Amino acid sequence: MRLELGKIFIKDVQFSDETRVENGILYINKEELLKEVSGDERLRSIDVELAKPGEEVRIIPVKDVIEPRVKVEGKGGIFPGFISKVDTVGSGRTHVLKGAAVVTTGKIVGFQEGIIDMTGEGAKYTPFSKTNNIVLVCEPVDNLPQHEHEEAVRMVGFKAACYLGRAGKNVEPDEIKVYETLPLLEQVNMYPHLPKVVYVYMLQSQGLLHDTYVYGVDAKKIIPTFIYPTEVFDGAIVSGNCVSACDKNPTYVHMNNPIIEDLYERHGKDINFIGCIITNENVYLADKERSSNYTAKLVEFLGADAAIISEEGFGNPDADLVMNCNKIEEKGIKTVLVTDEYAGRDGASQSLADSTPKGDAVVTAGNANELILLPPMKKIIGHVEAADIIAGGFAGSLREDGSIEAEIQVITGATSEVGFGYLSAKGF
Amino acid sequence: MKLKPVILTNNPLTKSSLENKYSVLYKKEASLLDILMFARDYVHKGHRLLTHPLMGSIKPNQTPFKSVAVSKECFNDVDLLSLEIIEESILKAEQLIKSKKTPVYTDKVLEDFSLIDFDLIKNALN
Repeated sequence: MRLELGKIFIKDVQFSDETRVENGILYINKEELLKEVSGDERLRSIDVELAKPGEEVRIIPVKDVIEPRVKVEGKGGIFPGFISKVDTVGSGRTHVLKGAAVVTTGKIVGFQEGIIDMTGEGAKYTPFSKTNNIVLVCEPVDNLPQHEHEEAVRMVGFKAACYLGRAGKNVEPDEIKVYETLPLLEQVNMYPHLPKVVYVYMLQSQGLLHDTYVYGVDAKKIIPTFIYPTEVFDGAIVSGNCVSACDKNPTYVHMNNPIIEDLYERHGKDINFIGCIITNENVYLADKERSSNYTAKLVEFLGADAAIISEEGFGNPDADLVMNCNKIEEKGIKTVLVTDEYAGRDGASQSLADSTPKGDAVVTAGNANELILLPPMKKIIGHVEAADIIAGGFAGSLREDGSIEAEIQVITGATSEVGFGYLSAKGF
Repeated sequence: MKLKPVILTNNPLTKSSLENKYSVLYKKEASLLDILMFARDYVHKGHRLLTHPLMGSIKPNQTPFKSVAVSKECFNDVDLLSLEIIEESILKAEQLIKSKKTPVYTDKVLEDFSLIDFDLIKNALN
């Protein structure tokens, strides 16, 4: 499966009378965009605001971040199972508005989540302070159940990203990158002397506000399976995960999974990247046993010499991470784990809620309990009162001057467990 | 083989919504940590842990509610996986609560925490 990713670099975004891309500027017809995303009677109102790098703007509470993309050649369309039919995606050509991001905000539950500051101390912790953000502010009708509210906001984000992506369909990209993974036997024969590496891609799937979807299917209902890495670039995996801002994978991060990007970077040089296995993180222990058994079996079946395993979330998923590690290592296959830490404010406590001596190669994406003081911003998009009860905040965290003292777990993407961030540690 | 569960909980919504379908042991005054300790007692006696005690990405020092399912059946031995998971979960919960106590919330926020705890255990057992 071969995908050309054509990147159109977006350096600014502005409202205009026509939606188009010209000289690196994304112009948006606001009315047309609103018309495109409206129609869900569960939402009382939707508004669009822009937030650009360097502006004194705070977006809160962030639900999802999505990258505008469009399919130019090849089967299917972006977000199969939601916006497009369920054709297999990941081949042909896709255009990306690189530097633009759709951000959805809505107060789905009272206690969370997600801050994006476009400048100041907080901006250093989130990759989405560097993107030109098109923020969809969604207000629900009264008494809308939380899961329906989440679904409605999620769909608004996907529709907006596809609408904006279409503006790049006939634009010549600034850069074209080609990614290719062959059918297994051909792929193995292509670089017979290089170690075969598989990526075990763990998806948050615990339940209400903790879900991920694959081609429209709730990931908690899947049995671990194979997916070509390029399918992910076309939005085959999307987020319905609204909890734990710092280490959830927004849809944008799935579409840009840096582990996949890095493995492709080394593909054919010092490794043979043979593909991805997606698995879930369920609550029921027998489901964990089944999924980890199945994952280890698939890794072995594919003939991998090594597996990179990333998790998503805190606590319960740590058990899945450890089970996957143990069972794959027991088959004589080496593993590297990617996670973040909840090691207390001084960083001195045990980092995860589970551990194993076999997990002797681990990459950390930072300590989510680290304290931060976020300065006041001139403009707030969303609901500022959410800051006081946001995950990681505590009573009194929203000060009178508008500054916020909280743990970095309040910041969207601060400790991304696929490494789509800035924090790590070096040493062994 | 799916084992019949007993749900240990301090969440009134879990009690009211699931007690007609499953055995529910509701401890109104128990803290989140008390429920985890209670689950550990069951594991020590030979019951199997059925759901992960730290389900959801909500941290144990963020929510006051906790529902955990253990097997109704008591076996003659202690399941080591159950034991490891409950012990590690208690350790992690104690660490985080010591680092920062669970805040006092408004009723609306408490309702949301309660709903998520209930929904996750309901889905896990379905």
